[in-house]
Amino acid sequence: MTQIQQTQAREHPSSTQDVADIIMDAASAGHSLAITGNGTRCGFGNPVTASRAMALGGLDSVDFYDPEDLVIRVGAGLTLDALEAMLAAKGQYLPFEPPRYTGLYGTDGARSTVGGAVATALSGPRRILNGAVRDFVLGVEGVNGQGDIFKAGGRTMKNVTGYDLSKLLTGSCGTLAVLTAVTLKVLPAPRAEVTLIVPAQTLEEDAALFRTIRALPLGVGGLARRVSPSGQCEVLIRIEGTEPGVAGNRAVVEGLLQGREGARVVERTESAALWQDVRELTCLAPRADELVWRVNLPGTAMPAFVAEARRAGCISRFFVDWAGGIVFSTMRGVQPEVDVLRYRKMAEKIGAKAMLLRGPDAIRAQFGAFPPITAGLAALAGRTRAAFDPGGLLNPGRMTVQA
Amino acid sequence: MQMPHPSQDIISQRETLAAGLRQIVGSEWVISDEVERKPYQCDGITAYMAMPLLVVLPASTEEVRAVLRFCHERGVKVVPRGSGTSLSGGALPLEDGILLVTSRLCSVVEVDAPNRVARVQPGVPNIAISEAVSHLGLCYMPDPSSQLISTIGGNVAENAGGVHCLKYGVTADHILGLQLVLMTGELLQLGGAFLGASEGELDLMGVLTGSEGLLGVVTEIAVRLEPVPEVARVISMSFPSVEKACECVGAIIGVGVIPAGLEFMDRKVLDAVSVLIRERFDDRTEALLLCELDGTAVEVDALVHVVSDVARAQGAIELKVSTTEEERQRIWSSRKLAFSAIGKLCPDYYCTDGTIPRNKLPEVLNTMAELSEKYGLDYANCFHAGDGNLHPIIMYDAAKPGDLEKAEAFGADVLIACVNVGGVLSGEHGIGVEKRDLMTHQFTDVDLHQQQMLKCAFDPQELLNPGKVFPTACRCAEFGRMHVRGGALRFADIPRF
Ligand SMILES: Cc1cc2nc3c(=O)[nH]c(=O)nc-3n(C[C@H](O)[C@H](O)[C@H](O)COP(=O)(O)OP(=O)(O)OC[C@H]3O[C@@H](n4cnc5c(N)ncnc54)[C@H](O)[C@@H]3O)c2cc1C
Ligand SMILES: Cc1cc2nc3c(=O)[nH]c(=O)nc-3n(C[C@H](O)[C@H](O)[C@H](O)COP(=O)(O)OP(=O)(O)OC[C@H]3O[C@@H](n4cnc5c(N)ncnc54)[C@H](O)[C@@H]3O)c2cc1C
Repeated sequence: MTQIQQTQAREHPSSTQDVADIIMDAASAGHSLAITGNGTRCGFGNPVTASRAMALGGLDSVDFYDPEDLVIRVGAGLTLDALEAMLAAKGQYLPFEPPRYTGLYGTDGARSTVGGAVATALSGPRRILNGAVRDFVLGVEGVNGQGDIFKAGGRTMKNVTGYDLSKLLTGSCGTLAVLTAVTLKVLPAPRAEVTLIVPAQTLEEDAALFRTIRALPLGVGGLARRVSPSGQCEVLIRIEGTEPGVAGNRAVVEGLLQGREGARVVERTESAALWQDVRELTCLAPRADELVWRVNLPGTAMPAFVAEARRAGCISRFFVDWAGGIVFSTMRGVQPEVDVLRYRKMAEKIGAKAMLLRGPDAIRAQFGAFPPITAGLAALAGRTRAAFDPGGLLNPGRMTVQA
Repeated sequence: MQMPHPSQDIISQRETLAAGLRQIVGSEWVISDEVERKPYQCDGITAYMAMPLLVVLPASTEEVRAVLRFCHERGVKVVPRGSGTSLSGGALPLEDGILLVTSRLCSVVEVDAPNRVARVQPGVPNIAISEAVSHLGLCYMPDPSSQLISTIGGNVAENAGGVHCLKYGVTADHILGLQLVLMTGELLQLGGAFLGASEGELDLMGVLTGSEGLLGVVTEIAVRLEPVPEVARVISMSFPSVEKACECVGAIIGVGVIPAGLEFMDRKVLDAVSVLIRERFDDRTEALLLCELDGTAVEVDALVHVVSDVARAQGAIELKVSTTEEERQRIWSSRKLAFSAIGKLCPDYYCTDGTIPRNKLPEVLNTMAELSEKYGLDYANCFHAGDGNLHPIIMYDAAKPGDLEKAEAFGADVLIACVNVGGVLSGEHGIGVEKRDLMTHQFTDVDLHQQQMLKCAFDPQELLNPGKVFPTACRCAEFGRMHVRGGALRFADIPRF
């Protein structure tokens, strides 16, 4: 959770100018600022130590929505729920399927903001088909650590006009600038969606199945392997598109499942509910005292990595998303200090990126929630931060480990 | 075009510098001879030319590092260059700077088919990636029209788009990792060779893409590979007016179809093309849309129906749908020949690439017609309608005094009109030197300052590709000392180039 050294009233700006004023006041008074949307993901990243706080929930405007142009611009404080409802009314959606992680952080997911989703840049299961958050942020407005209001990017699908600061700000966890508005590319939601549920085999066999399916252009917007609420280990295959397209692709996928008995199919709402469980990591059901990890890695390296980590006691429960390219797991370490480093080392050995998605403040502060980076990259990141926030006012420590 | 003042001191050291660089890359890979340097004087935009101090062709990342370190130590400027097809002057040389050409860094380092990633060197031509993986049923999606020649390194630097980027996205969406050499020679790895490899770190890779060679030299790129769509079919739709065609673009997307490509050609382009392809277009046709749909056969058939219905409802005169691959290629040939066809109508043409919100198409096309009258220059329109990326082709005669200046002014006015309706100066060609001085129309001084501060994080001495993209030097050293609040006073006295 965010640590506020001196208990100060949290600032609630209601305009971009308010944000700039708050930052300039903080700067002249020598204060630092913890930046939140509605605070639903405060457990993500490293804990912030700041003397003041600012919550962006009040910046919840809808500046424009142009469905025919597939573009929407909203205030950073608008909730994802409100945004998604507005898009759904026009048959569109956010292609990156942002998770809320309500269950994970014990917060109220209905209040998760767009700004938070862009700042943390977490993408859901559809990433393998549609791309990541960063691919859909067309433009941003923000305020840097000196109180300057700037904009970057634009509202068009293609844009090579100056540096793409929108991408840089996406995933910067509020450490470069406070996002006040974002312009997003949206897409028509698929007309049809089915999910095949197939009993799992060994991880190697399932990883091979993922690769076979992914090698074909079948509109597969979800390939995961999880333990169901009733304890069955199963592979989930989501196929989306037009009605006839889905029917055709489904037949092709079923053909690839030769020899796997017991597949079943669920459609629209049931399918959607299933993927919401995957997106929200509900199927991991972490106990309160468990650490939760998110490891990105090449799909081919996944089975051996999981096996080794299980043997070493670094994984207690796990599931696999992104066609094998991401492993979510829990860690029950008796000595997290030992296990955290051991798990990180295992990941590093194969070039994987291990992110501590949830864990006690002390552990995230000590080891850092994000995958370690080289000294050269850290130095460049530091210089980049200084280019936006030379005083280190904004979310100090969120992405860096303070020695 | 005003460029940073060349340093006579550096120019006078040409031979010493050449000798030092030969130690690094081998003697035949430093070009100092005047005649041999000539072909490198300009990139795809020949209106701007400059003779590079030296042309250097390193063959490995280590050599790139050593060359940059060498230049950094001596305060020598460096302009990176791929194939030199930039249409904005991004690879325009500097008289007191070396041109670092990537054409010898041209191998596909690794194809990892199971994980659908290829690692390639920057000098690999775009098309060569797809060729290297086509036997696996895979391809590299972004397909700029220049894909036969332009390099992947140049594509990354310009965040190149292509006909298929409406559905599949631009270069940035297909890059998983970059190996980068800073001006100091320091080597950095951003991201990696799998999905999400860059998550949890600042997205420096994202901002590097499209940075036009100003931040670092890219020496290796990990790209996503995609399965080749099973079938592609194209619908050619003719309309009695430009407005009707434009409305149809919005209507197609409005019903939830994202075509693989959606291209627009006006009557002037069609007339020029019909000479080349010996095919007449219906007399009533004022504009033509080409709409490509791809996916599995059933899916595409279904979409062809949906789009055809929309087009008819929008008043299309005639619809032609390809049923075979040859037919598809033939229908596309009109679009592929468009620029050379126009080239036959006039001695010279000038093409820019402002991008606008799709629903502003009719408004901006009207403005173009007015500007054409104002400047007394003819123009034609052939563009990526699906993503609002305009390519007005302004026809002029360089031999006529004043014509080039008029064409440039016409182009600039079109770009300003794009910005005025919420668009941007460049959709895919980049700013380079060509649109540099128009940046202030799109961005405030504060916006530009924030972008330029990034340069200070990567290359504070401004040795890498200076004079491009921004109308002012960034003066990193001075910015560090300024502490004026609110931004208002900071920039008042900065001289433009
Ligand atoms: C086929 C199978 C698939 C499973 N998939 C998952 C899963 O996706 N996520 C999860 O959290 N738990 C999964 N489990 C359950 C998990 O193995 C139990 O948590 C575990 O059996 C009890 O813990 P353990 O460390 O004592 O067992 P272990 O002694 O580690 O394992 C028991 C047996 O299950 C096999 N096994 C263990 N894990 C897997 C696996 N992932 N894939 C294939 N075989 C495995 C082992 O080889 C061994 O034969 C799976 C179990 C089986 C048998
Ligand atoms: C006929 C024609 C059609 C075209 N069609 C399209 C199109 O459809 N879509 C599109 O987007 N563009 C198009 N272009 C523009 C051009 O092809 C692209 O901008 C392309 O990406 C440039 O690649 P290049 O290798 O030629 O780069 P160059 O022109 O050599 O360089 C372009 C920029 O990249 C920098 N650069 C090059 N390599 C590196 C490196 N390794 N590291 C860092 N910086 C580097 C240079 O400094 C320069 O600023 C077209 C051009 C032509 C001539």
